Amino acid sequence: MSTAPPPQVKSLSCPNCGAPVVIRGFATTLSVVCGNCHSILDAKDPNLAVLQQFQAAERIQPLIPLGTRGKIRGDPYEAIGFQVRTITADGVDYSWAEYLLFNPYKGFRYLTEYHGHWNDVTMLRTLPEVGTSGSRPVAKALGQTYRHFQTADARTTFVLGEFPWQVRVGETVRVMDFVAPPRMLSSETTGSETTWSLGEYIDGRQVWQMFQLPGSPPRPVGVYENQPSPFGANLKEVWMVCLFFLAALLALLLFFNVFASKDRVFSGSYFFSPRAGQEASFVTDVFELKGRTSNVEFSTRTDLNNNWAYFNYALINTDTNQAFDFGREVSYYFGSDSDGSWTEGGQNDTAMVPSVPSGHYYLRVEPEMDANAAGVTYSISLRRDVPTWSYFLIAALLLLVPPIFLTFRSTGFEQARWRESDYPPAVSSGSSGDDD
Amino acid sequence: MRHPFYLVYCLALLGATTLAEYRGWSLTSVNEMKDVPKSVRDNPGAYRAHYMFYPRHIGGK
Repeated sequence: MSTAPPPQVKSLSCPNCGAPVVIRGFATTLSVVCGNCHSILDAKDPNLAVLQQFQAAERIQPLIPLGTRGKIRGDPYEAIGFQVRTITADGVDYSWAEYLLFNPYKGFRYLTEYHGHWNDVTMLRTLPEVGTSGSRPVAKALGQTYRHFQTADARTTFVLGEFPWQVRVGETVRVMDFVAPPRMLSSETTGSETTWSLGEYIDGRQVWQMFQLPGSPPRPVGVYENQPSPFGANLKEVWMVCLFFLAALLALLLFFNVFASKDRVFSGSYFFSPRAGQEASFVTDVFELKGRTSNVEFSTRTDLNNNWAYFNYALINTDTNQAFDFGREVSYYFGSDSDGSWTEGGQNDTAMVPSVPSGHYYLRVEPEMDANAAGVTYSISLRRDVPTWSYFLIAALLLLVPPIFLTFRSTGFEQARWRESDYPPAVSSGSSGDDD
Repeated sequence: MRHPFYLVYCLALLGATTLAEYRGWSLTSVNEMKDVPKSVRDNPGAYRAHYMFYPRHIGGK
């Protein structure tokens, strides 16, 4: 069984400066750039005729040195060409680098890099279907819809290595980008010819791993057009979990409302007059609190009118001599003035005593009023094991905090992405200054 | 789920809410006094809670 001989590179000399020129792409190479004098040479000419000479404003060193081999998706590739392309928007130049990778059996693919953001790019063999969605162009390819991101004129500003086309510095193409993170479709139009490519965002660390490059890749700056959102994929899951637990919380609330005993364990009606001059405090008969340790709801109802009363309560356990004591003020005022009628406070009050163990209890009650007050008729009732809303409400709010926070982060990420596009998100203006 | 932290957080919240409701916890608190003398039943006026000397709000617009 015969095996294909290993490919050999072809070494020539630059006719302009005499520096060695290496051709790694064999018959596919149409132009090659001298790494010394930056002459673009015709690789098909046996004498390597000079096609163009350009003066690079700066000598750009590719992050992946030409000739470096690496494995992409299991296939070995060699970096053979490097070009920098630039678009100008609002007078500002934005440049990105493109690495041409070659495998003699698989062909070409590209790695692009912009401010630490990398894309693995292959030429598209099927023509995408371009249409509109709303007012925005979309492109459909390989069963996926891509939203138009931007259209710009990109010019080649630096080249190095070899290329399967007649590369020229200063060459301009019309570039249209469509995104569906982590992929993007790009079209390049020169004259009547349009080529399409499909890019997929990859982490710079992956590139370093694939090419066994020393050091670490440059840190990505900002958000790139097809960079997958670190929040997007997780956001839906988090909201689903949140909704599930909100439903569980609601079910729990209903369960406690249905199954809480809510037993009335004591009730009594009384009259208090501070003018009587008698001892105000008194104790009730002993009553029993049954069941597990649970809360006790105190309800106080009065007939106060434009007056106040203060009730000192002590719930005392006759078995353990433990007391739960607290005070409640009840005040109710009403009247009318130039603004109309008004009221303040209420005649009734409810308080919750938490975690009261079962046992035999009595109440010590001591009402207080203004010394000149006529008096108050009031009733006290106690209920055992009463469901409350407060913890459910707090839990629901706490459940919502992470998904809302993630949503804000995700929205911020998407806004940062589209800010660089032809469709920047509307920015609310600050002070208009109309008041000046 | 990619990040189980939120799942654990939700389970903890649900568990804490169930426990709070089951045990009758409340956001309000009362004073718990131990060893209240048995004489309170016979002489209620002798019992004094520490908060009884706080100033009272007298309402009205």
